[in-house]
Amino acid sequence: MEKSRHTQFAQRISTRIWQELTDADNPWLATDARCHGYAHSEMVAQLDYPQTLFLLLRGELPDAQQHALLDRFLVAFCNPGPRHGATRAAMNAAASGTRSQHLGAIGLALLGGEHLGSGEVEQAASFLARHRDSDPAVVATTRLAAEEPAENIADRRVAAGFGTLFGGIDPQAAKLAALLRATPGHWPALEWGEGFAAALRDAGCGWLAPGVAAAACVDLGFAPRAAGALYQIASLPGLLAHGLEMSRQGLQAMPFVPDENYEFLDPRADETARGANA
Amino acid sequence: MAESIWDSRRHRVVTRKGGWRIGEGVRVGAYSLLDDMVGKHTFFELLFLEVTDRMPSPALARWIEACFLCLSFPDPRIWCNQVGALGGTLRCAPGAAVMAGTLASDSGMYGPGAARSACEFIAQVTREVRAGESIEAIVAQRTTRSGRLRAPGYSRPVASGDDRVGALCRFAAELGMSEGEHVGVAWRLDAHLRTRGSDSLNMLGYVVAFVLDNGVSTEECYRLFTLIVNAGVHACYSEAADEPAGTFLPLRVDDVEYTGAPPRALPRERIR
Repeated sequence: MEKSRHTQFAQRISTRIWQELTDADNPWLATDARCHGYAHSEMVAQLDYPQTLFLLLRGELPDAQQHALLDRFLVAFCNPGPRHGATRAAMNAAASGTRSQHLGAIGLALLGGEHLGSGEVEQAASFLARHRDSDPAVVATTRLAAEEPAENIADRRVAAGFGTLFGGIDPQAAKLAALLRATPGHWPALEWGEGFAAALRDAGCGWLAPGVAAAACVDLGFAPRAAGALYQIASLPGLLAHGLEMSRQGLQAMPFVPDENYEFLDPRADETARGANA
Repeated sequence: MAESIWDSRRHRVVTRKGGWRIGEGVRVGAYSLLDDMVGKHTFFELLFLEVTDRMPSPALARWIEACFLCLSFPDPRIWCNQVGALGGTLRCAPGAAVMAGTLASDSGMYGPGAARSACEFIAQVTREVRAGESIEAIVAQRTTRSGRLRAPGYSRPVASGDDRVGALCRFAAELGMSEGEHVGVAWRLDAHLRTRGSDSLNMLGYVVAFVLDNGVSTEECYRLFTLIVNAGVHACYSEAADEPAGTFLPLRVDDVEYTGAPPRALPRERIR
């Protein structure tokens, strides 16, 4: 028999982020709002987007160095590119007539994945936070020794955010890491990641984009969950741009695999298999 | 040099699931969708087949359908359903609202999102029992110093006890389906926990034990039940969408309590 646990739920929603100021005549309307204490109307006039993002997620304004790194981060990860599955999802949907208001949700749903998505960014941020006080070369040796050879028919993950991309070291990720690391300031997670990637090089592995994003987020003081979210925020413009571009091109603009390249491993070819299934 | 997996899959689909040949029909594994399935098999048999590549017995498919019924509360206070209702009041398309509600149910606390950990838990406990471990020792190993038990599939938010377990048990008996090793272990654990306090087997714990006994793997279980809350989300979305826009659980400004930093001026030196 079910019984209530008499759980004590909050009577009101509570937030440290946003305070709306009630209109004197209508309690359902707000005249202005404050974000962590700053008047929204003043923010609109004086803050740029990276400052606003940092404030929303961290509760304080970034200093000049954090501001510069976040600014570069948002540009660095503005677009996973048209070969990324999340972008292709938005493009496929758009080409097949999906309502445009769904494109962002479709792209972001797939960008949440644990392979080259925000799921991997979150895991990579946890990995970096856990190991940043250890010697990266020692961690690399330990992780490489623990790899299962059988897992290596496709891409390898020595750790979340580090491994191979299409069987090789991703030169673009390494370049992005260098660009972010060159931002004036002290960025220990990006430094540690560089050391870790260098220690993986002889094994054919290196930085992956989610690892770079995670390291920058750790250096900006973001927790792993926020790191994943920030990666999604950064990537959304690219997902939408490709989706919107494709929505103007129509159904035939996306490849449709021809029958001759569609290989169905037919269980009817093996009657034993069908007997077992039926 | 051997062809890489990426080269072998470039512009090419390799599948054991089936597909559509124009003029020939649609295949789902060994079955023709239109000739072998329509009118002969239920949607839940098809769903099981498409997820697992195996055609389930009609009884198992009906029992899984009953699981979906059991998670179809048309109550917008339930978290995923409220997402659907908010989608209705915001005049979202039904697909967006139901997708959002479905995503919300991918939770570690309840619903299909908890299925994987519940499966892993009961499978591990069953292995330990098989190896001769006592239920008491298994529970002790999973109880923290503060007395909190880590046992996915036991206890549930808001209520203790779970009437759905009895309903599903009765239906399994009506279908002539017997309980296997995992369900047996689940009941033994339930009996022990009931002597300790309010933790008891919930629907999710029972369901995962039952499907494990029927040859479903942990990953298959997580996939099979992905949409299990969808009817309740549909209900809550539909009603809110039929009401005037913006009227589902509206909040006045003072319904939100602000607990953050006090009003402050933007520091001039940091701006741009």
